[in-house]
Formats: sequence, C-alpha cells, structure tokens
Amino acid sequence: MAGERTIQEKIGDYLRTKMPGARDLTLSDWVQTAVGWSHEIYVFYANWREDGVARRQGFCLRKDPGSGLLRELSSLEEQFRVIKALENTAVPTPKAYWYEADPGLIGGPFFVMEKVEGEATNPWSRAGKQFYAEAARRGKLPMSFVEALASLHNLDWRAAGLDFIGVPGPGKDFALREIAKWEKLIAESLRKPEPVLTEVVMWLKANAPAVQRLAFVHGAYRTGNLIIKDDVITAVIDWELQVIGDPMYDVTYVLSDLNREGSPLLSCVVERDFFIEHYQRLTGLTIDFEACRYYQILYMMRTAAFWLSASGLFAEGRSKDLRLARTTYSVPVVLNMAAKALGF
Amino acid sequence: MIPVKHLFDEVIASLRNVIAPAIAEPYPKAQAYMAAVILEFIARQVDERVDLAEGKQRALEALFARLPSIGAVKSVSGIGAASEAHLCELIERLYADRTSLGEEVFTTANRLVRETLRQLLDQDLKVAGPAQE
Repeated sequence: MAGERTIQEKIGDYLRTKMPGARDLTLSDWVQTAVGWSHEIYVFYANWREDGVARRQGFCLRKDPGSGLLRELSSLEEQFRVIKALENTAVPTPKAYWYEADPGLIGGPFFVMEKVEGEATNPWSRAGKQFYAEAARRGKLPMSFVEALASLHNLDWRAAGLDFIGVPGPGKDFALREIAKWEKLIAESLRKPEPVLTEVVMWLKANAPAVQRLAFVHGAYRTGNLIIKDDVITAVIDWELQVIGDPMYDVTYVLSDLNREGSPLLSCVVERDFFIEHYQRLTGLTIDFEACRYYQILYMMRTAAFWLSASGLFAEGRSKDLRLARTTYSVPVVLNMAAKALGF
Repeated sequence: MIPVKHLFDEVIASLRNVIAPAIAEPYPKAQAYMAAVILEFIARQVDERVDLAEGKQRALEALFARLPSIGAVKSVSGIGAASEAHLCELIERLYADRTSLGEEVFTTANRLVRETLRQLLDQDLKVAGPAQE
C-alpha cells in the first residue's frame, strides 16, 4: 500500500533511536533468512558514521509472528534474556542488544542481536550433508561440536543468572516438568482424542528418570542450530527450548537418528564413539544410555506436540502455510515411532 | 487429521492466490491455475475414508468388551461407550489404578490396550504411512 513503511524502514528508524551517536545511519543487505515456524528472522547491516569514522555492523532480528509453533510457550523476552546472560560465559553466543515487547513497532515483539560471522548450514539438504561430511573429514568441526555442548553443560548456570528460566526440584522433577510443558501444548492444539499419545504420556510419567546433575540444556542441540566459521562453532543459536535439566536430554538429541537422516555421523558431523569419548572427558559425566532411551521417547512426544500444534494452527485458520498442514500426516508417523520404541 | 475438504480448499487457495501469481513464466503459471481448477473438481469426487473409522471402532469395541473379564472392572466401570476419547480416559485410569489392580492385571490390561492402539495406529498409517504400490 502506498505510503506504508516497510519493516526495513521501521527498523532503520528504531536503530537511530537506539544508537544516538550514529550519524547518517542506513541499512543494507537486508535479507529475511527464514520464514520460521516459530519466528521471522531478518539479517542486515547497519552503516553509519561515528566520530568521523565510517562504521558497519551486522545485526540479526527475530520477530514473533504471532502464530508460532510453540504458541504461548514461546517467549522472545526469555530468549533475549538467555542470550544476554550467556554473553560473558564460555558458551559461544551472539551479543544481544535490544528487546522490544511493543507489537506496534513492526507487528510483533522482536529482539536484535549481533550477526555472528559464519553459516548455520541446513543439514537436511544434499549440499548440507556434503558440507558437514567434508568438515568431519577435516576433523576440526567434530571437536568444536563436542566442546560447545560441553561448555553448555559445564556452565555454572546460577552464577550466569539463568535460574530465572525455572529450576526443577530433585529426582524426577525435570522429566515431569518437561512432560507437563508439552502436555500443555498438546491440550492447546488437540482437535480430537489421541489415545496412542495418552499411552505414551502415561508411560513417560510412570517411568521418569532421576537426574544425576542439573545443567543448562539447549533442547535442540544439532547442526543447523550452530553457526560455523572455519570449522569452528562461533555461536549456538535457536534459544527457544532451553531448560535447566538433565544434560542427557541434549545428549539424547545428539545421539538420535532423527537428526542425521541417513548420515552415519551424529548430527551429520561427528562419529558416535568420538562424541561419547570426548563428551565424557570434557564434562566428567558418564552417558546414561538408559536415560537416553527414555528421553528419546520424550522427544517423540515433544515432536508429536509440535506437529499437533502446527497442524492445529492451520486447522484453526491462524496460518495458511501449507507446511503446517503437511504435519497433520506427521503425527501418526511419530506416534508410530514412539509405539515401536515402547514395544507395540 | 485435518478433514480432507478443508485441505482441498486451502491447497486450491494457495495455488490460486500465492503460488500462481508468483510465477512469471506463462506456461507454469497456467499449470498452477489449472491445477487449482482440477483440484476443485477432484474435491467433489473424493470423500473421507469411512473404512478407517469403522476399523477403529471395531477395535475399540473389542477391547472394551474384553477388559472387564481380565479383572480391570474398576477401571472400565462407568467409562462410557467404546470411543477414542473414552480409551484415553481408560488408559489414564489404568495407570492411576495400577497399585490397586495389581501388576499382573495392569500388565494384561495394558497389553490389550496397546494391541488396540496398534490397530488404531495402523488405520491412520494407511493414509499417513509410506506410499504403497
């Protein structure tokens, strides 16, 4: 519509208010990198003069589209606070600059962070698999992959001020809280009874494992959620599912077949024995394979919750994205995986 | 699963309002619009598969008839007619009553429930599973 300001123009105005010392500020190389299932992501450069010197810096903006997969469970403000809290830790993360709750500015809450140099290559494409396979052969990236995960799990999360995201009680509380979280999403999304899912949930509740040591857990640690430059992880991204919980939850995700689709390498980049050896060495933890089996089924429940939410958003008319409609057929597939894991 | 009529409507709308207008080349653009037109006709020829719902209902009724005979009377009583909603309730009750039922009765009842769940799942997988020759 004539006269309507673009999101790029609005963000230009916004940055001018946030960077009062910047003269002649303009934005360039504006790209929407993902029409996310949860968030819209924009990458751009700001160019300005300051104290007579020309400056240029890359930024990344995450915006809540209002119909994200995680619905009310997703909090951009929490993500911003988490990234901010991680800034001065060993965990590689972008710098977080500004969070805006006001949906009036660009149509939804958003935050702006540093654009970290490197690529978060998608591992699902043929080119992506080749990229990671070649990096694995060179040998540097697999170790960086393990080290970045170890840096998360070795983090003193209380000292970093991350306890605001919720701290489980001792014993089985972490698993039970996680189940309750995904049950909530299922309850918001479910359009008809799913008795297979009920059985999976009841089994999970009845068999929750005790946690050996609470750690800061990413919740979706895999290639694609890691920015890589020169075979080194420069940032762990996609801070949407993090919890204080069992580090085996992340380990399970790494060990899962779900994240390597035909590649012999975990997360398409690291050999299983290499990962196990160096993860245990760097964290001092012993991988609990029985707990991993449990969390594998919990991930299947979580995935079912994601697909139910996605197809529900479509069925409710809150999204017209056919990718969400397609997930209606993914629900029985993931429930079938869970059923097989439980022996039926 | 999302009802088939709803999916047809949305796929047709996406072809007509999102995909076709974005295509510059005349031939693929015409193909996209024509795909929408043909899908409108197909939508009138296609119905939901009732055999899947019937198969599920048979499995549910067989389970609900059998459970009282294995000692799970308490969990089944007053639960209502065989349906997927009531099966969800039954599963929750069996786990809640596990101690009072005893491990043997619970295990037997849970095995029967899981056999039924497998039958329900197999019906859904006739649509959602891998394509068959």
